[in-house]
Amino acid sequence: MAVAAERPGFGLRRGLVAYLLLVPGIAWLLVFYAWPTIQMFFISLQEGSLERGYQLTWHWATYGDVFSKYSTQLIRSVGYGLIVTVACLLISYPLAYFIAIYGGRWKNALLFMVILPFFVSFLIRTLSWKFILADNGLFLGTIKQIGLLPDDFRLLATPIAVISGLIYNFLPFMALPLYASLEKLDRSLLEAAQDLYSSRAVAFLKVTLPLSLPGVFAGSLLTFIPAMGDFINPALLGGPNTTLIANVIQRRMLISNDYPEGAAISFILMAAILVGVAVYAKLLGTEELTG
Amino acid sequence: MGDEMIRRFGGTPRRLSRREALVQMGRGSTYLGVMSLLAACGVRGTQTQPSPTAASPSPLPEKAGELRVANWPLYIDLEGGKSPTLNAFKKQTDIDITYKEDINDNDEFFGTDLRQQLAAGQPTGWDIVTMTDWMIAKLARLGWIQPLHHEVLPNATANLDPKFQDAYFDPGRQYSFPWAAGITGIGYNKKLTGRPITSLNDLFDPAFKGKVGMFSEMRDTINFALFQLGIKPPENATMDDIERAVDLLIKQRDDGIVRAYYGNDYTDQLAEGNLALTMAWSGDVNFLKLDVPELEFVVPEEGGNRWTDNMAIPIQAEHPTDAHEWIDFVYQPDIATRITEWVWYESPVAGVQELIQEHAKEDRSLRPVANSELVWPSEDVLANTYGYKILSEEEEQAWHDLFDPLIQG
Amino acid sequence: MSTRAGEVVGERQLLREPPPGRRRSKGRGWILPLYTGLVIAYLFLPIAVMILFGFNDLKGRFNFTWQGFTLRHYRDVLQFQELTLALRNSLLIAAVTTLVATVLGTLVALALTRYRFRGRGGTNMFIFLPMATPEVVLGASLLAFFLTLGLPRGLLTILIAHIMFTISFVVVTVKARTHGFNREWEEAAKDLGATPWVTFWTVTFPLIFPGIMAAAALAAALSIDDYVVTAFNAGQTSTFPLWVFGASRFGVPPQVNVMGTIIFVAGVALALATVAIQRRQGGAAQPPAVS
Repeated sequence: MAVAAERPGFGLRRGLVAYLLLVPGIAWLLVFYAWPTIQMFFISLQEGSLERGYQLTWHWATYGDVFSKYSTQLIRSVGYGLIVTVACLLISYPLAYFIAIYGGRWKNALLFMVILPFFVSFLIRTLSWKFILADNGLFLGTIKQIGLLPDDFRLLATPIAVISGLIYNFLPFMALPLYASLEKLDRSLLEAAQDLYSSRAVAFLKVTLPLSLPGVFAGSLLTFIPAMGDFINPALLGGPNTTLIANVIQRRMLISNDYPEGAAISFILMAAILVGVAVYAKLLGTEELTG
Repeated sequence: MGDEMIRRFGGTPRRLSRREALVQMGRGSTYLGVMSLLAACGVRGTQTQPSPTAASPSPLPEKAGELRVANWPLYIDLEGGKSPTLNAFKKQTDIDITYKEDINDNDEFFGTDLRQQLAAGQPTGWDIVTMTDWMIAKLARLGWIQPLHHEVLPNATANLDPKFQDAYFDPGRQYSFPWAAGITGIGYNKKLTGRPITSLNDLFDPAFKGKVGMFSEMRDTINFALFQLGIKPPENATMDDIERAVDLLIKQRDDGIVRAYYGNDYTDQLAEGNLALTMAWSGDVNFLKLDVPELEFVVPEEGGNRWTDNMAIPIQAEHPTDAHEWIDFVYQPDIATRITEWVWYESPVAGVQELIQEHAKEDRSLRPVANSELVWPSEDVLANTYGYKILSEEEEQAWHDLFDPLIQG
Repeated sequence: MSTRAGEVVGERQLLREPPPGRRRSKGRGWILPLYTGLVIAYLFLPIAVMILFGFNDLKGRFNFTWQGFTLRHYRDVLQFQELTLALRNSLLIAAVTTLVATVLGTLVALALTRYRFRGRGGTNMFIFLPMATPEVVLGASLLAFFLTLGLPRGLLTILIAHIMFTISFVVVTVKARTHGFNREWEEAAKDLGATPWVTFWTVTFPLIFPGIMAAAALAAALSIDDYVVTAFNAGQTSTFPLWVFGASRFGVPPQVNVMGTIIFVAGVALALATVAIQRRQGGAAQPPAVS
């Protein structure tokens, strides 16, 4: 990036400008996110109950307990998150590619159509999926009639339903950043690549894909991070063996009133996500990308 | 710390430059500040807090003309999008009532709307909350609901059906008056089950593998497991019994018999035929039958759960006097009748069933409500239903520690 | 890696579409459009069910099974005062949230991708944290914070919460667009005598606008759909998801489906309108392709 180093006065102002740009957004997050979350952290180290009261005893053992109790759900959440992210990437990429490169004047309209379903309440969408995926509904019922599936086959209350629901939910989270990144690609580069390389596939791999990596990175993060923390799909579409870590947190904090444990699980989840993001950024070789 | 180490290894600690000293002092005072903030981070327990109400309720303030009521969805009559009862209340008492159907689950409502607010000693914004009996007991135990002034509740005290006067969870009706009552039993689709369902054994029957629903609500489900083990009434259950109950449920889950553990959303699964039989609430099945006539409701022969949803006034409520007026208002028989004719759950107000039967003579659509066993369970049916064990805080935590892993494998 | 490729400047750069006479890229033209159509159809599938059940002629209280066709719910769509109020609140909250979060987030994204400053890496990591935090923790900790401040819960607290958790999504999405931003056009403008302010609005902003739009759409969708964080911080205020969640025990009442249908159809109409407008403007009225 060409920072005008030859003009020192200009450079100094630029430094200040950066902070000015940052202040409103970061201040908002510091006040309304960082401070409350730090409070939560201290709650995770408290012991007690509603009747006895809570004391900050620096009870780090809570974290150890959480690891052993909920390792299954944690691992499952990571697993589902990865599957969903990869699936969303595979599904969204051609979609974003088409809209960005070949969309023409339909570009904005198509993009809008991709995100439009998500202005309709998630609950309505998920309830509709429950209807569509009913054991003997239109979809499964017909297949069962033909005899392609056994009668006691079901999709609801299985991992498949939960993962499908997650994929459905997060498609636009992957598609939009991909689109934003692909849309600004220089057409002539793509043309040049096709001239240079023997096949379109190689041209894609060598030119298009690397250029779209910022979008891939952003989309993967926007998908993986919330998907790992999703609780609504397992709650509505899942069964007893599809519980994700966010469901556990929900139940422990809200229903069982165990704020310290719920907070501890949350921070372990956040730490896992941060580590994952850092590793991912390194893998893509994108210190630049993160900035 | 660092200086010690340096001395120990024979060195001389560097003297701080002025700037470093200032920074260190800043850090130190910040540290002190943070530590004192953290010390304040602890929350006083309800046991240590002085209870705002002693043996007798605190005197009622002036009527404010405003009221905020929280209730469950579809628990009040609705006509063309408005509630006649609410309008009648406004007319009769001149109180501006905000009625919100914000309660979907006792624990959830407790967690989002009551717990933090009351623990911090701040108003919840609600004057009336309608909670199920065991939650009333819990709120009373925490000292978070106010004793009621029975002297300003003439209708309520006079018209409360004798059945509900001895409340095991609220002796003497000190804190609450019931809004509606119902039973948790088994709802089933007789076409899918192929036979009538009568027993809890059917919920554990491998023949219905993958088509059985259980509640994610702890007390309801543990009760059923206890009954299946022959342990009743639930008050007699020891922790050992609870462990055996949960083991039974674990087996039911691991055998694949249970499809899922449901909250309020079992209704659409039952209606769509994804569930052949499930734990269910009496009133819901009554309604579902209109759309899906194959559905039936039964109180299992081993036992069912009897519950009541009760109006209570949280502490720090801003309009307690108006709240009392609401409680008393809905205990007028004609008001209660109108509500029940719409809601189809049992009314705790004496004489309502007779009134509905009167109305049913002219209005055929009221026949189901007037005579339904589900809305007005007989003595025999009631004899086979049980309440919930009142738990201390330790017991509740212990129960949750056993139950939560079951439904969140 | 990727930035060098983007700095090629040539006359082809000014063209968005491949030059005429290039038949190759048009030859395989049916796979991608078909795929895009299928994906959009898949996204619309539950919406179709929702639209269908807006016409359901209910006999009883439940909206689970199809019982016949009727238009009466369209006539009675405003029947439930609470629902209408809830919808109005949600739309208002979404509008304000989108505005504020997009502005704040875009500023942060600009700072992060165009300037070097102390704490850039840390800020990058910090931005991910709200996305990684489970909603229960976000909601509960904010509630604790508001209680400490003595702030009554209602419209204001909901707004604060929504802006808080959408900023991160905006930042990540806009960053995908502003990454590797080529300064040459801006430098050119400055050389021509434009002030930084003018440069920003005439050169920079139009170029990053697609990213901002994508981010705004995402923020709006997140806000209008939020349940958990809102449940903690709404006090007695109703929002659309809160209302629908409560009503869903008996199946979503048809009025909700009708409202969803209207929103959806309005959105589709808006998307088509942008196409029509662009056609009238004579093709893509977009600034030159700069990577």
